[in-house]
Amino acid sequence: MPEFTINGEKRDVDVPPDMPLLWMLRDLLGMTGTKFGCGIAQCGACTVHLDGVAVRSCQLPVGRVGNRAITTIEGVGNTPAGAKIQKAWIDLEVIQCGYCQPGQIMSAAALLTGNPAPDDADIDAAMAGNLCRCGTYVRIREGIKHAARS
Amino acid sequence: MRRNLLLLAGAIVVLAAAIIGRMVFQPGPYSFAGGTQVELASYPDKTVTGVPSELATADPRSRADYVIRMADCEACHTAKGGKPFAGGRPFVLPFGTIYTPNITPDPETGIGKWTDAQFLDAVHKGIAPDGSRFYPAFPYASYTMLTDADVLAIKAYLFSLPPVKQPNKPNTFGFPFNQRWLMGIWSAFFNSDKRFRPVREQGPVWNRGAYLVEAAGHCGECHTPRNLMQALDQRSKFAGGVAEGWNAYNITGDRVSGIGGWSDAELASYLSTGHSQGRGGASGPMGEAVALSLSKLTRSDLAAIITYLKTVPAIRSDRSPQPAGPAPASPKLASIDNPVGKRVFEGSCAACHAWTGAGAIVEEARLTGVRAVNDPTAANVAAMILNGAGKPGTGRPYMPAFAASYSDTEIASVANYVTARFGAAKSDITPKEVARLRRQN
Repeated sequence: MPEFTINGEKRDVDVPPDMPLLWMLRDLLGMTGTKFGCGIAQCGACTVHLDGVAVRSCQLPVGRVGNRAITTIEGVGNTPAGAKIQKAWIDLEVIQCGYCQPGQIMSAAALLTGNPAPDDADIDAAMAGNLCRCGTYVRIREGIKHAARS
Repeated sequence: MRRNLLLLAGAIVVLAAAIIGRMVFQPGPYSFAGGTQVELASYPDKTVTGVPSELATADPRSRADYVIRMADCEACHTAKGGKPFAGGRPFVLPFGTIYTPNITPDPETGIGKWTDAQFLDAVHKGIAPDGSRFYPAFPYASYTMLTDADVLAIKAYLFSLPPVKQPNKPNTFGFPFNQRWLMGIWSAFFNSDKRFRPVREQGPVWNRGAYLVEAAGHCGECHTPRNLMQALDQRSKFAGGVAEGWNAYNITGDRVSGIGGWSDAELASYLSTGHSQGRGGASGPMGEAVALSLSKLTRSDLAAIITYLKTVPAIRSDRSPQPAGPAPASPKLASIDNPVGKRVFEGSCAACHAWTGAGAIVEEARLTGVRAVNDPTAANVAAMILNGAGKPGTGRPYMPAFAASYSDTEIASVANYVTARFGAAKSDITPKEVARLRRQN
């Protein structure tokens, strides 16, 4: 049975290699924090981290995960950047309906890990693939800057 | 004065004759190999034509099924979303649009009433049962090399299909291209009407490869450039051509532009799965060729194709330069002034392809090192963005089609951004060219 490291825990999951990681997380493991949005890597709602890098889990077959550590929205608060982003999100009340926000937080945390002081262009480049139909983009940008300052 | 004029006129006539002669008198598709081409019957090995050794004991139905895959009839004779082999697929050519005919056994709208002799004439000579001529969009100049037995195996397969009632669509060619009889003259020059003749000095694997590549696979129909008379220019064999607006790349033995630098394993992976690590994937018409034909071939046939291809003389071409190396991870590149392209890339492309171009999710999304991205025309990059590739939810790599999401200007801009960031040279594809690609696919 394939073994995965998810939020620091080893998990054996009986899963066919061509199943998208998002399916495994939500349907087999019941980790429903990661959301299904478009299913074609165009909205960012399903974003998780593989070794700290933001990846769209709807387009990643589990057979391609390899030894990389998976971090989801359930575990990102245990990483330094993830904790900062979550606090900023609460401080500034970034969220409106919330559906896209697990993906937004995962992308923002990955950005902050690689770039502790991102400017507007850096934020555009990292966050443009995460859509928010409530239009919370202005608060997301502020939230990232707030987290970077904290 | 008068004498000079006469001399000039004479020189022009001689020059014109030389140019036309060069166009008309083409070397044979595999005469580059030299040697003596002999009758098939006098070549000792009997596995050059027909099915490969793996299927030597197969029943006629399985053999017919294999032979039609070798010739890949389905790709062209099926419309998007249409019934297989019922035709209706448009080909937008400089002279108008031509639609492939229905080749299911329906007696009225298909080929149900055709005799064996009529079917052979169509495939070998490009002549329909009513005596009219087919356009060479139907690759009979290649299929003419197929043996009678293989052509009739194809017919047997087609006649085993359920008949589909679907009338053929007339083409939109204007004068003089609507004159089908002219194709008789074209055929006299450019269709040898000769069955495959093995090269005596070459082994059975090479000859099998030649038969698969030249006769059945008709690879040159896309990969060899055409001259003014729309015939294959065999002197630039496999140096790269065009298919439905997509560039069909150089597959000569050249190490930079062609496949000379590819290992046998890389070629086998590309042909059988449509992808080779670090080399990129087959999309557009080549994606179809892989899905419907090449992926169905046996290992021995893939090996034969590779053996043959590796002997094709090397030609260097501008469209296939040495690919550029990896791109920087930082999104900020002062050298690229293309804000529209960057905006589209960061919103729709970066999540899968990554700012390094190495692929963010799966290796198949790698942009660096790929022919299309290093092609200074950016035609295939734009065609890929318009059409996407694969289907979602299959567990196979997938890219959505962006034709409905972005304007011609946006698609041209992001295609130029991609070549500038990840390719050997920046491209300058225009919105007008993108619009033309939209119409062709």
